[in-house]
Amino acid sequence: MGTDSPIAALSARPRLIFDYFTQLFAQVTNPPLDAIREELVTSLHSSLGPQGNLLEPTAASCRSVTLPFPVIDNDELAKLIHINADGDMPGMTSVTLSGLYRVSGGGDALGARIEEICAEADAAIEAGARLIVLSDRHSDAEHAPIPSLLLTAAVHHHLIRTKQRTQVGLLVEAGDVREVHHVALLIGYGAAAVNPYLAMESVEDLVRAGTFLPGIEAEQAIRNLIYALGKGVLKVMSKMGISTVASYRGAQVFEAVGLDEAFVERYFNGTTTKIGGVGIDVIAEEVAARHAKAYPASGVPSAHRALEIGGEYQWRREGEPHLFDPDTVFRLQHATRNRRYDIFKKYTDRVNEQSERLMTLRGLFGFNSGREPISIDEVEPASEIVKRFSTGAMSYGSISREAHETLAIAMNQLGGKSNTGEGGEDPERLYDPARRSSIKQVASGRFGVTSEYLVNSDDIQIKMAQGAKPGEGGQLPGHKVYPWVAKTRHSTPGVGLISPPPHHDIYSIEDLAQLIHDLKNANPKARIHVKLVSEVGVGTVAAGVSKAHADVVLISGHDGGTGASPLTSLKHAGGPWELGLAETQQTLLLNGLRDRIVVQTDGQLKTGRDVVIAALLGAEEFGFATAPLVVSGCVMMRVCHLDTCPVGIATQNPTLRERFSGKAEYVVNFFEFIAEEVRELLAELGFRSIEEAVGHAELLDTERAVNHWKAQGLDLEPLFHVPDLPEGAVRHQLVEQDHGLAKALDNELIKLASDALAADTAEDARPVRAQIAIRNINRTVGTMLGHEVTRKFGGAGLPDDTVDITFTGSAGQSFGAFVPRGVTLRLEGDANDYVGKGLSGGRVIVRPDRGADHLAEYSTIAGNTIAYGATGGELFLRGRTGERFCVRNSGATVVSEGVGDHGCEYMTGGHAVVLGETGRNFAAGMSGGIAYVIDLDQDNVNAGNAGAVEPLDDTDKQWLHDVVRRHQEETGSTVAAKLLAEWDTAVTRFSRIIPSTYKAVLAAKDAAERAGLPESEITEKMMEAATHG
Amino acid sequence: MADPKGFLNHGREVATSRPVGERVRDWNEVYVPGSLLPIISKQASRCMDCGIPFCHNGCPLGNLIPEWNDYAYREDWEAASERLHATNNFPEFTGRLCPAPCESACVLGINQPAVTIKNVEVSIIDKAWDNGDVAPQAPERLSGKTVAVIGSGPAGLAAAQQLTRAGHTVAVYERADRIGGLLRYGIPEFKMEKRHINRRIEQMRAEGTKFRTEVEIGRDITARDLRKRYDAVVVAAGATVSRDLPVPGRELNGIHFAMEYLPLANKVQEGDYVQPPITAEGKHVVVIGGGDTGADCVGTAHRQGAASVTQLEIMPKPGDERSPGQPWPTFPMLYKVTSAHEEGGERIYSVSTTHFEGDEDGNVQSLHLIEVEFVDGKLTQKPGTERVIPAQLVTLAMGFTGTDQENGLVAQFGLDLDERGNIARDADYRTNVPGVYVAGDAGRGQSLIVWAIAEGRSAARGVDRFLTGASELPAPIRPTDRALTV
Repeated sequence: MGTDSPIAALSARPRLIFDYFTQLFAQVTNPPLDAIREELVTSLHSSLGPQGNLLEPTAASCRSVTLPFPVIDNDELAKLIHINADGDMPGMTSVTLSGLYRVSGGGDALGARIEEICAEADAAIEAGARLIVLSDRHSDAEHAPIPSLLLTAAVHHHLIRTKQRTQVGLLVEAGDVREVHHVALLIGYGAAAVNPYLAMESVEDLVRAGTFLPGIEAEQAIRNLIYALGKGVLKVMSKMGISTVASYRGAQVFEAVGLDEAFVERYFNGTTTKIGGVGIDVIAEEVAARHAKAYPASGVPSAHRALEIGGEYQWRREGEPHLFDPDTVFRLQHATRNRRYDIFKKYTDRVNEQSERLMTLRGLFGFNSGREPISIDEVEPASEIVKRFSTGAMSYGSISREAHETLAIAMNQLGGKSNTGEGGEDPERLYDPARRSSIKQVASGRFGVTSEYLVNSDDIQIKMAQGAKPGEGGQLPGHKVYPWVAKTRHSTPGVGLISPPPHHDIYSIEDLAQLIHDLKNANPKARIHVKLVSEVGVGTVAAGVSKAHADVVLISGHDGGTGASPLTSLKHAGGPWELGLAETQQTLLLNGLRDRIVVQTDGQLKTGRDVVIAALLGAEEFGFATAPLVVSGCVMMRVCHLDTCPVGIATQNPTLRERFSGKAEYVVNFFEFIAEEVRELLAELGFRSIEEAVGHAELLDTERAVNHWKAQGLDLEPLFHVPDLPEGAVRHQLVEQDHGLAKALDNELIKLASDALAADTAEDARPVRAQIAIRNINRTVGTMLGHEVTRKFGGAGLPDDTVDITFTGSAGQSFGAFVPRGVTLRLEGDANDYVGKGLSGGRVIVRPDRGADHLAEYSTIAGNTIAYGATGGELFLRGRTGERFCVRNSGATVVSEGVGDHGCEYMTGGHAVVLGETGRNFAAGMSGGIAYVIDLDQDNVNAGNAGAVEPLDDTDKQWLHDVVRRHQEETGSTVAAKLLAEWDTAVTRFSRIIPSTYKAVLAAKDAAERAGLPESEITEKMMEAATHG
Repeated sequence: MADPKGFLNHGREVATSRPVGERVRDWNEVYVPGSLLPIISKQASRCMDCGIPFCHNGCPLGNLIPEWNDYAYREDWEAASERLHATNNFPEFTGRLCPAPCESACVLGINQPAVTIKNVEVSIIDKAWDNGDVAPQAPERLSGKTVAVIGSGPAGLAAAQQLTRAGHTVAVYERADRIGGLLRYGIPEFKMEKRHINRRIEQMRAEGTKFRTEVEIGRDITARDLRKRYDAVVVAAGATVSRDLPVPGRELNGIHFAMEYLPLANKVQEGDYVQPPITAEGKHVVVIGGGDTGADCVGTAHRQGAASVTQLEIMPKPGDERSPGQPWPTFPMLYKVTSAHEEGGERIYSVSTTHFEGDEDGNVQSLHLIEVEFVDGKLTQKPGTERVIPAQLVTLAMGFTGTDQENGLVAQFGLDLDERGNIARDADYRTNVPGVYVAGDAGRGQSLIVWAIAEGRSAARGVDRFLTGASELPAPIRPTDRALTV
């Protein structure tokens, strides 16, 4: 449900300057990183003080202070201020500059004081200062604190301009810092460390009151705060794929929304600010408004109102307005439940009517068509328009079956599309035309992404980022992995599931093109979507996506998404879809890429007006998530993460699910109402269809006169720009992408396998044996063949080895991706990255060319990210493989003779066998499955799973012997042969890695099965074991 | 937030009432003293701390219900009281008297019994008084401006307290002999013991508010004089004109407006009388009007020892469940069993009084009624359904039509009225006369106590802005705001 309150530039309340900045995040161009599971590559250390000349290193160059953490307490700050008190740090003098200004002087006084401070900094450096503390302490009735971010950035840029920046370190002592986002910004604009003294004092006060923080010492609470702020910054950094504070400092990976250009150039030079906005005068006004709360003009503080009523995160009457408030929720629910279009209009009026309360950028837009209106009868019917609508990607797991199916049934009835969300689809629904979701999502966790899932899709959506938390992964905690959720996700009940921040097969746009190709091969009939989140530069990414042959690009607004997201992401990451969509449309048009890709948008779309504005800005399809949920009964509890949703939507709790009251007909009503409203607007604008309207941004303006103290500085014209187009150029999708499937080697394979494919049933399929040469231009080999098998024979595929093809040569990427049971691919040669991606029951065997004379066990046989998201089948790899071996494997048995770093990361099931060296960070985030590793160096195991390493028992030994034997048979492995030859000693060299919860669950299952309990009770026992373990 | 799973683990439990046989023999509040405290934290834990707290919207005051529910759950009574007072000047009144539109709007109420918000509220404030946490909030500085508030009901008192705390010097004028308006004389003791008002008035006096009783503006002091003496005036004179029942026999003895009957019973409690001049003792009592005031008459008559009590209502009996036209979170018309109804009497719905009959001394003896039904949206009498019931005391509790104009207040100020006969005002609660503001039922028409307090608070902001050019005072509602309906 994301955020639905105004961005800072539109807020009627004084907002902290931090709020005008949004965090940038990595999507496609580079991967975000997982700072928890891959902590070893991160560092919060930074050094402070003058930096010597890099080209002339001397002993003095090393004279700097190392800070282990970017947030410091008062003692640490005092130490730094008095660093040379004993004279043992000669040259390390510090100076504290007072960041206060005369508040009655407004913006002029603020600007002038900043100039003065910069001059004071110059003088201090001249006098030998090497640490400058920017402090806003000691404000009084006349003097207000300069916003710490403004001051820090101003001094930082001043010092850069005057070429003095490397001579000093900047420390910030500020009262306005309390959130992760604040600290991130300060560091991003040059601070070496931040002392949030007021936040710490507030914590102390809370501890003293004892109400919310009982039983904790103030000191510990402050330490916790500091730790959380610092670790939070790490998380923000990792969304951009930056792993050390040292490289984050001054990196300015933020976008300004609603700040004046000249203001940004002066104080935040280099930051993008697309639509102008407020400058120093308004910033000063905002400071003055806050100051007046503390020092009211009347001299009489308000009784019983020590703290203001916020309303940013939860609606409050006196607080920040929200698009969904009691009025709109009530009217929307009532209108759709009783099919009352008149009440629906009251709802949309309240959402659209923003002259009194500005909420969104589109709220400022007006229609300036000058076109002749047409009769509404000439406009395409609502039944055509609803086909362009889809519901959001909410996983079954995050929302209840009842809620998920309600949306699916409604969309299927309408001819629109619902989305599975990450986490697969129950086969029961997969084949039910009424209840299936036609968009199947593929997210970084690849849960439930099988050949069968893909084959039965109309659209396949690659989620690069998610509106509520772009650049982040997700986590389904064990207690929410109910048996039915586990089933669709191909995982174990009660065992937590992690979706990594990046897709581990996408580190670049080329990789994305590869995944698009893989998925297209897995289902040539499906459209492939790429879901992006609006931020500056998203247009360029979208252009890349179009070139990478995606059929659809989705631009999500920052305001979409779940109530379960971290608040710092919910509020501060990503931008409004209006900005991203306009940029996307313009970039695609300029590069001649628009006509081959469908553009879709979503993010708090609520009314027909929203849809028409999105169409004019360039979207031809439209996604809705929050509104249809509200129609289904959601009352914006914002407790999606607690499993306590009282209306049975965001919960798996059976008691609460019974309270679900939504019906598909309500959702149908909603979409029909929206379509009706769209028709009315199209008629007014003189368009007969949405297609005609797409991309006519020139019909929008900001005529809706805005007399608002902040918004009047906004310049929205750039959004309405339409590039010069050649005669007859279209502004919407017209032609299909060329996916190059005609050239695929699989066409050959399908012919070769025709005997097997022609069978009526799997049992009748005649075995096929073939041999064929392969080159590295042959990508995604076997996938289209697999698609044919699955389409014909369903998820169970064919009997093992029915189609058995031997390839000779070097395979391109994604060899054997999504191959189902019954298909065996033998490669004699070597393979690239992503072998056996999404393996769905098939078998893949890779061995060196029979003529090769190298020692296989010392050579790399296949690249990175083997068996990513595999759900079943076998992979035998004779030789070493790269990094992230078996990442997120949930069912396949995979053997390799040596693996790189991060092996078995996020694995949730299946077996991994390593017969050689193992890299660092093994089993990070591994929550299920078993790995058998020879000669394991315990230091290479991720700390989170250090306790999961144990010796083998007899069953293991027997199982392992069998697998090693087959590895030897299939690949001719000499390593395996040697081990088998002296098995009794060899087997003692193996360790087993089995995550503790997973182990407990398996044990419970075993015990329950032996006790002869029925299936439902077995899973119950498993859940119990998981939650108590 | 309160316990995230509180609502799953605890059911709704309300304050325990004293046995009927015991409580009708005295005038004390009907609840067992102290019965709430042991259960209230658990009850508060049922609050779900909603993303959109509809309760907070359903309450005209904008009470920060989830926030003080949380404090109550954690038993931080002082903080709870502080947060409660942030939006409500008199929670001890609302916690007893408000019909709780907040509970109708409670999100839990969509499919479960709502949180006992009103009980939490009264627990917090009672505890705060007991603990001495309700201290006077005298302003640190005086503005030098003076304000007269006409009327000492909840709207007038709220406006007076807000303005006093903002530094203005405020005098409250009350035509009755005691402060409190409807709170004092309209509400029976068994619903709210009057010591609660006295205690609050003491706090207000300590803050600096002046009270002038038995002064009727318009009669004792003319509006012009008052306006001259003060920098601003707030008219909070209520909507005190009762709706009459002009049927034959109305002039008989023993037929009284509820607002003639109830005050006298209250005056007995104040010690002004030993026996009330109008009493139900030994009489067949008929109460006309099915609302809360009617119920107050019923409870009062029980305690005075009525021979029988019958309550008449012209509208059909409301249902036990919400009707389709009154979905959640609106404040629905439901069949309510108040404490007075628990104590006895009969309720007759869909009936209209045709006339009264008296004895030779002109004392009413019986009431003739006829059944009515809706025909084409109009209430129509059903021929042949006439009947007679004994009636020796009749109270008319059919609502109020508007503010009192007889004393000359409205005319002397020259105040414009709106189309419903209430005093007209702009968005700042200002009347057409500069410096004269209106709050409460006088401007809104008859309403609930929470609306009155909300009006008083909001009007205070308008006055404060008028006097000082700006205001930090909150204004929970606009004059045009109404409860959410379909």
